[in-house]
Amino acid sequence: MIIFSDRTAGSPTVREGLSRQMPFLTVGLLTLLLTASFVPAQTNNLQARLENAATLIRENRIAEAEQQLNTILRTTPNEATALNLLGAIRAQQGKLNEAESLLTRAAKIDPTFVPVHMNLAFLYVLKKVPEKTISELKEVIKLEPNNIEANYKLARLLLSRGQTDESIVVIEKANLSSPASVIFLTLLGDAYFKKGNADKAAENYLLALAAHKDNPDAMMGLAKVSQSRGDTRTALAYLSQAKDVAGNAPEVLYGIGVTALGLGIFDEALSDLEQAVKLKPDEPAYLIALGAAWLKKPDLFAGEQSFRRALQLQPDNAQAQMYLGYVLYKQKKFSEAKPYLEKTIKADSKLPEPFYYLGLILQEENEDEQAVTFLEKAIALSASFANAHVALGASYLKLKDYVRAQRELELGAKLNPDDSKAHYQLAVLYARLKDPKRAQAEMEIVERLKTIDQQIREGDTFVISPNPR
Amino acid sequence: MHTYHRRNLRLAPALLLLLRLMGITSAQTPKPNVTFEEVPASKSGITWVHNNAHSADRYLPETVGAGCAFLDYDNDGWMDIYLVNSGPSDFFAPNAPLRNALYHNNHDGTFTNVTDKAGVAGGTFGMGVAAGDYDGDGWVDLYVTSYGRNILYHNNGNGTFADVTDKAGVSAPGWSTCAVWFDYDNDGKLDLFVSSFVAYEKSLNILCTDEGMSRRYYCVPRLFKPRPSHLFHNDGNGKFTDVSKESGIADSPGKSFGAVATDVDNDGLMDLFVANDTMPNFLFINKGNGKFEEVGLAAGVAYSDAGKPRSGMGVDAADYDGDGWQDLFVANIDREVFSLYHNQKDLIFTDEPGEIGTATQMLSGWGLRFFDYDNDGDPDLFLVNGHPDDFIEMRTNRVKYKEPLLMFENTGRAFKNVSAQSGAAFSKEFSGRGMATGDFDNDGDLDVLISNNGEAPLLLHNEGGNKNNWLGLQLVATKSNPAAVGATITWQAGGMKRSRLKTAGGSYLSSHDPREILGLGAAKKIDYVEIRWPSGKIEKLTNLPINTYLKVIEGEGIAKSGASPAK
Repeated sequence: MIIFSDRTAGSPTVREGLSRQMPFLTVGLLTLLLTASFVPAQTNNLQARLENAATLIRENRIAEAEQQLNTILRTTPNEATALNLLGAIRAQQGKLNEAESLLTRAAKIDPTFVPVHMNLAFLYVLKKVPEKTISELKEVIKLEPNNIEANYKLARLLLSRGQTDESIVVIEKANLSSPASVIFLTLLGDAYFKKGNADKAAENYLLALAAHKDNPDAMMGLAKVSQSRGDTRTALAYLSQAKDVAGNAPEVLYGIGVTALGLGIFDEALSDLEQAVKLKPDEPAYLIALGAAWLKKPDLFAGEQSFRRALQLQPDNAQAQMYLGYVLYKQKKFSEAKPYLEKTIKADSKLPEPFYYLGLILQEENEDEQAVTFLEKAIALSASFANAHVALGASYLKLKDYVRAQRELELGAKLNPDDSKAHYQLAVLYARLKDPKRAQAEMEIVERLKTIDQQIREGDTFVISPNPR
Repeated sequence: MHTYHRRNLRLAPALLLLLRLMGITSAQTPKPNVTFEEVPASKSGITWVHNNAHSADRYLPETVGAGCAFLDYDNDGWMDIYLVNSGPSDFFAPNAPLRNALYHNNHDGTFTNVTDKAGVAGGTFGMGVAAGDYDGDGWVDLYVTSYGRNILYHNNGNGTFADVTDKAGVSAPGWSTCAVWFDYDNDGKLDLFVSSFVAYEKSLNILCTDEGMSRRYYCVPRLFKPRPSHLFHNDGNGKFTDVSKESGIADSPGKSFGAVATDVDNDGLMDLFVANDTMPNFLFINKGNGKFEEVGLAAGVAYSDAGKPRSGMGVDAADYDGDGWQDLFVANIDREVFSLYHNQKDLIFTDEPGEIGTATQMLSGWGLRFFDYDNDGDPDLFLVNGHPDDFIEMRTNRVKYKEPLLMFENTGRAFKNVSAQSGAAFSKEFSGRGMATGDFDNDGDLDVLISNNGEAPLLLHNEGGNKNNWLGLQLVATKSNPAAVGATITWQAGGMKRSRLKTAGGSYLSSHDPREILGLGAAKKIDYVEIRWPSGKIEKLTNLPINTYLKVIEGEGIAKSGASPAK
């Protein structure tokens, strides 16, 4: 769920990640609507009471709805619909374990009850157990092969977890049953793009646009494809088209901004995200994305302010905590950064980034033995986390453990050959091991990478030589 | 009476506890507040102003400023001042003659310009100055570096100097910056290291502009070629041999600014740490056979953490944490952060700037010095800053051309930014470049002289440093080199043992008061002072007075006639 991750492995975009966390109430409402259609034969009285409870929920009269449902369950404790509705309420209240208990009971009572499987799927998103979400969505699809939402959500989730081929299978199967479905075509484009097949991705995005010309997601997809082909101009044109379609829709502007961010078009990203925040100032996800865009400018202070605002709105937002910890670290405000990173770990101990940044802070504080512990943890969570390997190697170098330093630095350089820091640390290591040739070779790589970097970054002065005599 | 006594007994422990809670016991006194106060020209008489030859064509030498020195040229026990100016060059023809300036200390806080009488006006596009008695005749000489012709001024001992550059063989053509007098072969004579900056002349000046070609900026040194620095061996009899090639110094061409001679591996041989601009810094390790080996990369002092060469300018060396190993410091340009390299032994350093890093993120540093500003025994750190490009504010609003001074107090293992408490000068901004330390009023604490680019110099008087006790030593070598560079002074007072290596050079383009002020803190008695001379001789001195200057002669102890008169 990290936009600005130092991991070299592709990370899910915020768009994908955050959209996974659909507001549960929306789901609940959807479920209620479905429930209304699929309620098995009930007595009129029971049905009326269930519908009444559903109405109360819709009207946000939760306490009364609860009362109604509890009354129903007292007399008919195995009423799956009531259990499902009550489970949905508990989930919305944040009582996730209770919700799970109610929903699994409902599923046991009636395994063919699709809405409860959908609700369980979303519950497991909240509980951060994606494997179970996948399992529940597959169950729904087994029961209702043409269930668009389930197919779509499953495909997106698989894609976000890097299970790209599986995702493509799901989409193509679903697409067969609903030909030219715009959202599936767009998602298929996303999947092929992730697979590295830009041509196939473009093909599907274009098909999506042909089916529905005002499809900002397809336009953003084509922007990504253009950028991957080095055609920033066309990428910007597609983003501009997406913006025209978006109008003042903050969620679309947000999506465009995040796409632009991912494409490295930072000024565009900033502009779109600022606009999105202006239109919807109380949306933490937008503030986080805006903060990430500021980091790329780089304006650490502006980024910090954005993340702080996000946390004011949602104090437990782990992503905002992590970003704030990161930006404070970058400003060398280590004592302020640490608590936020520690909170992130508490909220999600499977994220490697906070361990990594805590490791970096300990390195800066010259506590390399402690840094090693945190960096090793980051690597245990993500073996391909190149920067963590490099940082670990740097710590071992400082601790004069040259064998381990060499192992980690060489692995880091292999995972990310364009990381100048890895090559520099290797140069220092080889110099200390009295291998000047290898040291020199590594510094030549650093020099080459630096030249490329300078050409990209240092554009504000140009050198004009005098006319030759 | 009995009751009164019992009441006191009850009160005393409580009072003592209270005092302990307040951190005050009978063994401690409050820490003195030390500030640096500007001495205006109207008071000091230093009316000279630096001219940096500023032009619309923006020639690179215009940006780097010049150096300054505290030296006692007439051996009257009071620090005089020397200031370096620009002058005629291939790109600059001043309307009126520009001069360096030698100011004689009148012993009363004022100075008199004696430049012409002394014959040290320069006449080149001056850069830096290094004071050292190269011929061991007891009179300090001057080496002035230039964009152009360097000058070695021999002190005639009568208030005048003679230009002996060519005779001595130390001309070092091209663009020279910092110079360091030190004895690299321990033969008792001061040798000379001269930093070389980029290959530059008027015809090589290129147009550096922005996308809109709206204005011309100073070019970054990265665009010019490096050059090897020089090492001159003092042969005696007033002559030097250029041993740059034989020593290995010339194997490492650079774009060198600050240089400091120090002993980073404690082998008794003086090494060199040299800052390079847009190139890796050099750490030349003295191998003892007339050879130096450059080990900056392996040592971890050459590049930033990401392997990028930075714009190194000022440098210094000191054992800031008292672990017996010399640490290093280099100031860089904005957004590069300055580096405090902690010596890990085995010729390995780790960059541990701490608060210095945070404070210097957007600053460009030049003159700087480790010195004990409050006489508590620890070396503190003074930084002089200023951006090289006077158009910088048109390109960014995060960096300014004139920048503040910074003062960091040594807390034992790190440094604390005390700039805000160090005087009004720290809330002003300067185009600071050269910086020298010296006790110009002989009151027992080190004052600061700053050369500002294209402006008047700044003389700062230390007020409060001598509230702690101190002992000043003037080391007079007989077998060792005349400046006693490489001597180690160890002193113990009030249960505190300190040690200091007498380094050479350091800061930027500047030269310092050669005396050593030993900070004693609140201790009222000094247990001993031990001097390990570069010749190998060790002398232990006891029964010493405090709060005064003493002259110590190698092999003879304290001179009968006093050293500098203390205030």
